[in-house]
Amino acid sequence: MSDPLPETGDGIQLNAVGNPTDLRLEMPTLMARELCKSYRVGSGKLQVLRGASVDLYGGQICALMGSSGSGKSTLLNMLGLLDKPDTGKLWLHKKEVQNLGQAAAARLRAAGLGFVFQQFQLLPELSAFENVLMPRRLAARGWWSRRKEERRSAREVLERVGLQDRLHHKPSQLSGGEQQRVAIARALVSKPAVLLADEPTGNLDRKTGTETLDLLLRLGREESAAVLLATHDPDVAARCDRTIFIRDGVIFNQVPE
Amino acid sequence: MSLLGLGIQYFRTRLLLLMSAVAIALGVAVLFTVLAVMNGFLAELETAIRDLSGDAVIETARTQNFEQHTLQDFEGWLADVDGIETLEPQLTWYGLVGRRGGRSVNDPRSADLSGLMLVGTDEDIAPDVAAELGPDDPLPMKMGVGAAKELGLQVGDEIGVITFVGRRRGRGAPLQRTFKLVGTFSTGRYDQDLNRAVVRRHDLSQLLRHATGFSQVIVRTQADADPLLVAVAIENRLQVVGTAAPGYRTTYDWRNRGGNLLRAVENQRGMLSIVFFFIVLVAAYQLVATLTLTVSEKRRDIGVLRALGATPKRIVRFFVTLGLLISVLGIVMGLALGHWLINNLPTVERWIGGGQPIFRAEIYKFDHIPVAVDTQSVLLLVGMTLLAALIFSLIPAWRASRVTVIKSLRKR
Ligand SMILES: Nc1ncnc2c1ncn2[C@@H]1O[C@H](COP(=O)(O)OP(=O)(O)O)[C@@H](O)[C@H]1O
Ligand SMILES: [Mg+2]
Repeated sequence: MSDPLPETGDGIQLNAVGNPTDLRLEMPTLMARELCKSYRVGSGKLQVLRGASVDLYGGQICALMGSSGSGKSTLLNMLGLLDKPDTGKLWLHKKEVQNLGQAAAARLRAAGLGFVFQQFQLLPELSAFENVLMPRRLAARGWWSRRKEERRSAREVLERVGLQDRLHHKPSQLSGGEQQRVAIARALVSKPAVLLADEPTGNLDRKTGTETLDLLLRLGREESAAVLLATHDPDVAARCDRTIFIRDGVIFNQVPE
Repeated sequence: MSLLGLGIQYFRTRLLLLMSAVAIALGVAVLFTVLAVMNGFLAELETAIRDLSGDAVIETARTQNFEQHTLQDFEGWLADVDGIETLEPQLTWYGLVGRRGGRSVNDPRSADLSGLMLVGTDEDIAPDVAAELGPDDPLPMKMGVGAAKELGLQVGDEIGVITFVGRRRGRGAPLQRTFKLVGTFSTGRYDQDLNRAVVRRHDLSQLLRHATGFSQVIVRTQADADPLLVAVAIENRLQVVGTAAPGYRTTYDWRNRGGNLLRAVENQRGMLSIVFFFIVLVAAYQLVATLTLTVSEKRRDIGVLRALGATPKRIVRFFVTLGLLISVLGIVMGLALGHWLINNLPTVERWIGGGQPIFRAEIYKFDHIPVAVDTQSVLLLVGMTLLAALIFSLIPAWRASRVTVIKSLRKR
């Protein structure tokens, strides 16, 4: 972290955590500083994150590279408010969020965070359409919600991932690629400011994986979401706007030695 | 209720949830039926007791009083008391009753003589016997089943009755008369069946040479009147005209007379309700098991819902709603089944009893099982079941809300 400040190809000066130092640029949508996280394993302690810092910007797709077990999922869990860091700070839209309670964190997730998991994690009892509708329903406060508008946006986003003919299919009736496209639609239906994708193509074959990644990148850009995409595949990382690396629980802007 | 759809999907795909509903349904049906039958018994007992004793009775400690005043006197005194439907004269007296011809041949254990209360009624207890009979013709008599059994009597037997009337000094000679048993009756009250015989009031009055032909007045109140208030009003009225009607001081609410029995049945109903509510409780407890299983089976789904922004409260609400959904289904099915049961009791009785009726007319007064659905107790039953379901659902629901996203999504 004491490295000299690196420079991007187009001449923008980056700071220590890989963010442009150009003050004309906006504030990061999601900003993490010095996150530490350890797990109790047996009688000992496994330190997974040792001061990880990340900035995510709207409209920018950032790849998080690291070998298996390096802590990518752990970091994404912290950034997605699914788990709390031991120490460190986290800002979402300039609001400090690392100490929020369960309910408040859930409400923020419903309103502004989208997740895509390696395992798709669709609800098996529900159709593609109902799965995509779910985040909108969960975000609705009170009994009176705009049902019509919710349904319209769910149908619309399923069209954008090319599944307009699969609305009423159950996940078990869909291929892996289709399931992940439903998951991407579900992550984007609430128009989240931040999209966190944990090895989204890890469970797909090469060709389907490439198509799914194309879709994810295209929609992420269209929505100008701040996207963080965890992967151990350099080909995937190469297609993102920017790549950060994780090793020994610390974030690097370049391939660490 | 955005998750209701998901709950219904769970319901459709999980037989176990349906089984819980069926268990609750059975409990509710049994309790519904038991309550309906108990209420039916109570209602019939009430009617039986009211038929016999009226809603209030005007009595006196000095029997002579009734020989000084006619029924018209009472009608006059009580003309302005509200709520009286009818005043019925009744003549009761005591007599020693025995089988004509001494000890019963049929049953050596039967008693020779028994002291019975003779109730003179205006009801036509023997339609085919002439109203006026000669001095040597036997008079018709109906006897409580218990009394008839004790004396070893059968319908058609002749009965000797001895009684005394100590009305005036020197006129205490015993009176004797022959009666004939024309039938037996059962009031549903063991004690009354054991010590009562019903005869025609006119016959009894003649036998006793009673001046007015009644020894008490049975008061029947109007349907919307409170018998207790009417009784009090009558008592007050008789006090006011006290000089004209010396000693008429007692009026009884019918509830007092049949009270012990009614209270016993009411108690029994309460006890049975508690016992059978345990069936509902066990069924509702099964809901805990079912929901707990669903929660652990659906941990991953719960984690996904939490990741998508469901608050822990929302998860609690989801599983409580699921539990209530199950119990509402169970209650609806249970009430429907119970309704069918009480409408087909003879069939059910034959099933359970293996072709034999369980309720014997000789033991229970009623030749059919009486049922009466009481809205209040049904509402209480539904409310208690829902409350039990709510409380029991809270336990698994709370456990579901504690599921953390990262743990539930890690293991698959
Ligand atoms: N809940 C947990 N309890 C104990 N150890 C954990 C837990 N979660 C992750 N780990 C450990 O932390 C390390 C990082 O895990 P993870 O973040 O899943 O890595 P990656 O996603 O980069 O493969 C691994 O060694 C893993 O075993
Ligand atoms: Mg991982």
